[in-house]
Amino acid sequence: MSLVPSFASADEPSLAEWALQRVEDGLVKPLAHFETHTFSRSRPPPRERRVRVLQSTALLDKNKRSFVPFAIDVRFGSGEWHENDIVGCVYAGAGKLYVKRGDGYRPASFLLGKNEDTVQGVCEKAD
Amino acid sequence: MLAGSALITATSLGYFDFESLPPFVIERMPDRFASLWLAALRVHVAAALISFPLCLALTTRALQKRAAWHRWLGRSSGVLVLFALVPSGVVLSFNAKGGRVVAAGFLLTAAIVAWAMARGIVAARRGDLVSHRRAMRHVVAQMSVAVVSRAMLLGFDAVGVDPDLAYVIALWGPVLASVAVVEIVSARSGSLRSVANLVAKLLERIRRDLSPSALLLRARGVARPLLRLGR
Repeated sequence: MSLVPSFASADEPSLAEWALQRVEDGLVKPLAHFETHTFSRSRPPPRERRVRVLQSTALLDKNKRSFVPFAIDVRFGSGEWHENDIVGCVYAGAGKLYVKRGDGYRPASFLLGKNEDTVQGVCEKAD
Repeated sequence: MLAGSALITATSLGYFDFESLPPFVIERMPDRFASLWLAALRVHVAAALISFPLCLALTTRALQKRAAWHRWLGRSSGVLVLFALVPSGVVLSFNAKGGRVVAAGFLLTAAIVAWAMARGIVAARRGDLVSHRRAMRHVVAQMSVAVVSRAMLLGFDAVGVDPDLAYVIALWGPVLASVAVVEIVSARSGSLRSVANLVAKLLERIRRDLSPSALLLRARGVARPLLRLGR
């Protein structure tokens, strides 16, 4: 076992840390720029968002691609955290982000205003 | 209210950008019947952007004095409200955030608008301007819920109220308050009108009794017997 090369050196972030950073940079920060207080009935932007990486090791989908599921919680005012406001997954390597919408998953850019369709088979663990 | 209507117009233009989705659409668009929902939203927004300022303009003295203008603009807004605004609003209400409580609130406001608009049109055709005014007050008041509700949502957000709770209060509060305000105003103006009628009748009677000719007739009536006595 000691001969098996490790993909992560001591200085490199773990998979969970990498996934957390990727979700922060690829979704949480752009969302904060996208959502503003407007004179509309849409939900006001939350005061805070926190990312939770739900698996410390990658899962494999039907196409043998590895992904890490995540959830984003939100907080309005000084109230309690609303868990799982956004759930999705980030793919290892390319760092593609998908978010759950209804029964399917769409590219995370959907939440930033792009009209994206559901992508079949992503973020679903292979049996 | 006109400023609020202009603000809603400014923030609603994004619904007609067919390339991107505004936050409200991302948040609410259902998975099933998404095209129908989006079409209903666009019809609703377009109808509201025209009919709300139009209804506000119709409440002004300037337009009420110009009967022909008032009639034609009133007919246009009536058609727009009854055949575009209310039906599209009903479609949207079934997918409202907040479940049945919020859906019921939107359906109630739609029902009040439709009922009051129909009643107002019938009253205007009958020439019953008192009933027409009362019904149209209900229409405008329910339309104003759009502005009041959004202002309340901003206020609740500023003080950190949970958005789900804020959404319910900011809908039901203005819907019920609008009905109450219109009824109070209509009752007051009705009782004020009856008081004014009473005062007008009294003044007319006093004027008749104290007019120079009436005084002269009375003076003659008193003087004649005295003159006869003197003969």
